[in-house]
Amino acid sequence: MVLFVIVINFLIFELLPGTSGAIANLVSTGKITNHATVNALLIKDGFCSGFTAQGQCIPTNVWDQFTSYFRNMLTFQFGVSYQPPNQSIFDEMISSGRLLNTLMLLGASTALSLVIGIFLGVYAAAKRGSLFDSGWVTASLVTFSLPTFFMGLLFILIFTQTLHWFPSGGVVPSNWTIPGQTPSLIGQIIPRLQHLFLPVFTLTLFFYGGHLLLTRATMLESLSEDYIVTARAKGLSERAVLFKHALKNASLPIVTNAALSFGFILSGAIITETIFNWNGLGFWLFQSINFKDYPVMQAMFYIIALCVIAANFIADVIYGVLDPRIKYQ
Amino acid sequence: MSKNSRVPLRLLRFKRFMFTLLGNRMALTGFILLILFSGLALSAPFLTPYHPQGTVVSATFDPPTWLTYFTGSAGWSRNIAFSGVAVNESSGTSVTVTALRSDGADFTATTGGRNGTVTIYETLNYPYDGTPKRFVGNVLVTAPFANTTNSVEGRVEFYRYSAGIVTKNCTYAPFPSGIHNSLPTAPTTGIDSQDQNLVTECQFANTGLNPAQIIFDSPGQYVFALVLSLPATPTTQSISIENFHLVLYGNTWGLLGTDSNGFDVFTQLAYGARLSLLVGLIATGIGIGVGLLVGLLAGYLGKLVDEVLMRFTDMLLVIPSLPLLIVLVAVLGSSIWNIILVLGFLGWMGFARIIRAQVLSLRERPFIEAAKASGAGTGHILTRHIFANIVSLTYVNLALSVPSAIVGEAALSFLGLGDPTVVTWGRMLQLAYGAGATTGNLTWWWVIPPGFAIALISLAFILLGYGLDTIFNPRLRRRM
Repeated sequence: MVLFVIVINFLIFELLPGTSGAIANLVSTGKITNHATVNALLIKDGFCSGFTAQGQCIPTNVWDQFTSYFRNMLTFQFGVSYQPPNQSIFDEMISSGRLLNTLMLLGASTALSLVIGIFLGVYAAAKRGSLFDSGWVTASLVTFSLPTFFMGLLFILIFTQTLHWFPSGGVVPSNWTIPGQTPSLIGQIIPRLQHLFLPVFTLTLFFYGGHLLLTRATMLESLSEDYIVTARAKGLSERAVLFKHALKNASLPIVTNAALSFGFILSGAIITETIFNWNGLGFWLFQSINFKDYPVMQAMFYIIALCVIAANFIADVIYGVLDPRIKYQ
Repeated sequence: MSKNSRVPLRLLRFKRFMFTLLGNRMALTGFILLILFSGLALSAPFLTPYHPQGTVVSATFDPPTWLTYFTGSAGWSRNIAFSGVAVNESSGTSVTVTALRSDGADFTATTGGRNGTVTIYETLNYPYDGTPKRFVGNVLVTAPFANTTNSVEGRVEFYRYSAGIVTKNCTYAPFPSGIHNSLPTAPTTGIDSQDQNLVTECQFANTGLNPAQIIFDSPGQYVFALVLSLPATPTTQSISIENFHLVLYGNTWGLLGTDSNGFDVFTQLAYGARLSLLVGLIATGIGIGVGLLVGLLAGYLGKLVDEVLMRFTDMLLVIPSLPLLIVLVAVLGSSIWNIILVLGFLGWMGFARIIRAQVLSLRERPFIEAAKASGAGTGHILTRHIFANIVSLTYVNLALSVPSAIVGEAALSFLGLGDPTVVTWGRMLQLAYGAGATTGNLTWWWVIPPGFAIALISLAFILLGYGLDTIFNPRLRRRM
């Protein structure tokens, strides 16, 4: 599976005429003027194995190109970005906090959407047919079908421009880059949360609907089982019946779905990060589009695809743990 | 059965099908929405005369005009143009005017006399409570007799009448060095309230105010005049004046206002409907075609073909689609056809799996065995027997996967990967976002219409798809 991603990634970037064209484009638009940098990029991207005395490129064959690329991908050495030129992608990802920012955003919104979705789903199923039920089902269908970029723009319009409650974008206030303007760690908490709110809100609103509908559906099934009648007859409180007996038995598809939806969350995160200028991996992918920064795009695509494959794998493992009847050979 | 008797039967079937379809409430809603959007898309050139991204219809960021019906007219204005050209002469000049165009904006004035002035003016009864945001005018003056020593001087003047008193608001000389014998390069003069020369000459330089708002500060009678000072020779002078007009751009416009360039948002919405439907339908068509092919082959041929095709499908299914789309479009280049092709060739996997599952069960049925026994080849069985039984699935999936293609295109456009030469709803959102998300210039009349259009057209197709599903799938049909 990982191999397939690596091969696809190679085919897209190395064999389609994009990458070599991109370097030529960088030179012609004057983004890179240093000849040595261009040559270094050509060698690092595997187009040239070296240069003749006259400065002519000695081209590599496809197989060498692939093996060097393959090694880079397995060792997470993604090479260097075009913009800024010759900066290590791996360093940029880790040390400038892009990976951390994305994980923060995804973690917060996944957790929130799960908690909200499951909680509302349980109560919607318990009060089947009531106004609460139909109201939340409709609401989740609506938020589920609105595109993320539209929701993000609406929230900027409402919360930033009209109500002035939250900043329109960024991870931290922009004046923190000026030395001496960064407050102490405790003073950072509130501005950071303010910046985090809108992107997390957008992503949560986009994803709680799916969890709600699934929880409701599986809960409806498990609530009609005999052991629920038994639990009620024992005199258990309604909450214990709902959460300990019904939800526990309905949790299998919910958990798997949560893991599987990780891929969609990543896709949603690209757009959300772009809207709110959230300096994460998705925003980097967006920025690299403008600069035709193919190594960065290649690396981001690889990492995102890896995350999704990992999430799928975890879903499979959890499935086996939660339901001991399922055995893997 | 003869050919003639078949046609009414088909018609009857179609009629019955439409009747069932429209009897289903979900399908009916979807159908109506879809017809509305198709109508908008097809009739776009008739609904609006403007170019979606080429006609400046009003000032920038104008809210829609219908707002004034809710808030009252205070502070609002609309577009209005000066009209009714009149010509006046002074100090020994007599003028004969010959109209070149019936509306009076183009004409020749033949003057008798010398060293006089000819004043051409338009009047306007400005009715709106609010000031205009901007004025834009034009005039092309040609004086074939003039030369560098005997040139015609021209200036533009604004007057207002109030209670019998005439006040001159502003004088501006837009012809820097007079009008010479200038054919074929006649001086065309644009008069624009945003022109810094005009701001300086009218002495509004340091007020920070817009000349349009100072000159037309309240409702009343205004005059826009072009004053031409004639040279000493010759005695009879013929001056051609073309395209003499001034338009005031109000601070509201049309049905959905204007964008950051003064383009009409409604026009963009209407033309966007065309492209969104086009992208959705063609991309889904490609996806359904590939899905059908893969599903049929994998399901019917089985064994190694099935194994290979399905592994490939699974792998493509696992890769997150948006990043793959982004990467592919970025590398291939973002023309609208590239986007359609990429969306199409990445949208078949789910459908192929459904088709395969259906074919697996179909190929064990007795009628396939019968067809085989009567000597039918694989191609014949696939197209005549199996395909006929999965056509309904195709329709349902067609309807259900159009939204994902439309939203996919919008997402790509929003990320700046859209075709820059055309207007789609996603690109409208991107432009609106780029024009002011961080500076606080995000305008609701530019964001909400395309956003809701995307959501509604998706809803229309989903409703239609579910409606078709209940019709085609007898198990889901409610008992009467």
